Amino acid sequence: MIVKVLLTLWMAAMIVAAFLYAGAAAGFPGQTSRILFFHVPQAWIATLSFLLSMVASCMYLARRRVRADYLALSAAELGLLFCILATATGSIFAKATWGSFWNWDPRETSIVILLMIYGAYFALRSAVPDPDKRRVFAAVYSILAFVTVPFLVFVVPRITASLHPEDTMNPTNPGMDPKTLKVFLGSLLAYTGLFVWMLRLRIRLLRLEGRQEPEFVISEKLKQEGEKG
Amino acid sequence: MKSGRWRTQTGPLTYLNEATAIWLRDLRGEFRTRYAVNSILMFAVTTLVAVSFSIGSFRIGDAEKPFLYSVLLWIILVFSALSGLSRSFVKEEEAGTIDVLKLSARSQAVFLGKLFFNLTLLGALELIIVPLFILLMNYKIASPGHFAAMIISGGFGLGAGTTIVAAMIAQASARGALFSVLSFPLLLPLMITAIKGCERAADGMNTAGWPEVRIAVAYTVIMIIMSLFLFPLIWEE
Repeated sequence: MIVKVLLTLWMAAMIVAAFLYAGAAAGFPGQTSRILFFHVPQAWIATLSFLLSMVASCMYLARRRVRADYLALSAAELGLLFCILATATGSIFAKATWGSFWNWDPRETSIVILLMIYGAYFALRSAVPDPDKRRVFAAVYSILAFVTVPFLVFVVPRITASLHPEDTMNPTNPGMDPKTLKVFLGSLLAYTGLFVWMLRLRIRLLRLEGRQEPEFVISEKLKQEGEKG
Repeated sequence: MKSGRWRTQTGPLTYLNEATAIWLRDLRGEFRTRYAVNSILMFAVTTLVAVSFSIGSFRIGDAEKPFLYSVLLWIILVFSALSGLSRSFVKEEEAGTIDVLKLSARSQAVFLGKLFFNLTLLGALELIIVPLFILLMNYKIASPGHFAAMIISGGFGLGAGTTIVAAMIAQASARGALFSVLSFPLLLPLMITAIKGCERAADGMNTAGWPEVRIAVAYTVIMIIMSLFLFPLIWEE
């Protein structure tokens, strides 16, 4: 409870700070550089949850504990959500600065592939009726998809140069404004906190659903057998 | 003791023997029904005719040809492959022979056998479609050896990336559409590489080292190794 309240306050503070405390970076039209505090953490969460989902899938395949599959599924669901958010906010920024909503910039390409992988993952999950099989297949697919991603790192930069602003917005760059850096890191923390909180809620829900289902089925079966004999 | 042709052998070669046996069996079945060959080839020929008819060999300027033709060629190849490669596992499921197959060979050997079969299909597809495409579209290729290497290594990548997906979707509902949906994200890095490689070969510039061929070979090797690890999990489930 107290964590939830603190998270809300922190998130609100970061939103206020993003607009009032940090200054707009030079070289960007109007206030567009403030997207940094929202778009980058969203993309970070989308990537983090992809990694988390893969790790949980490995754990599931190794131990066959349902909880690992719940983690993999919840991470993938939240990853899809943040992936869509990052794509949408990035697209608006692209329109404002580069003049078109979509340019097939390397990062745009990789996020589209991430979206497609998530889409395929859920398509696979919904197409396998048997729950145990579904979990194994989803885990296998998640690992396979993760393996192909590094190829994009080699392949995509050969196609076009990135339009993404690297210099003024890269936190490791010493040229970044200290105020901007503070708010950016705070926002990253807020988003990560939000992600963990949502993830735990989703896992709890899945566990409750999972706990209900098999017991219900078994008790129905036993009842019928009891009525017969 | 004559219990099965390959069960009595031991040693590292038995995997390959089992795989070859499955491969030959699938080839025999394919010669009888010609289902996969027909569907893949007809899909490819239809697409090729549609592309050739609507674009022709003069519509695209010479400067644009290496890149745009390479894109068209790989779209035809990838989507033709996606239209029929799932057949190798789906037919076992439909014929009800999957349980016998599980009993008669080890899982990795089954994967290798099916991979060989899919690669054979892809080889046939490329052998027919690529020369036809070059003829119909008047595609001028500056370094043919490089081009052939890119087509072959790309074909290997296609087979390596889709065979394990075929094994998964054979046990799912809504098979046809699902195969493309699942395979495409896995194949996209390969497809982008192959398009770039064929453009480079047709162009004839900066071909030193054949970088895209090497990426495709690395992709093939990694996908086969991952599949050998992961296939037993989905096969014995």
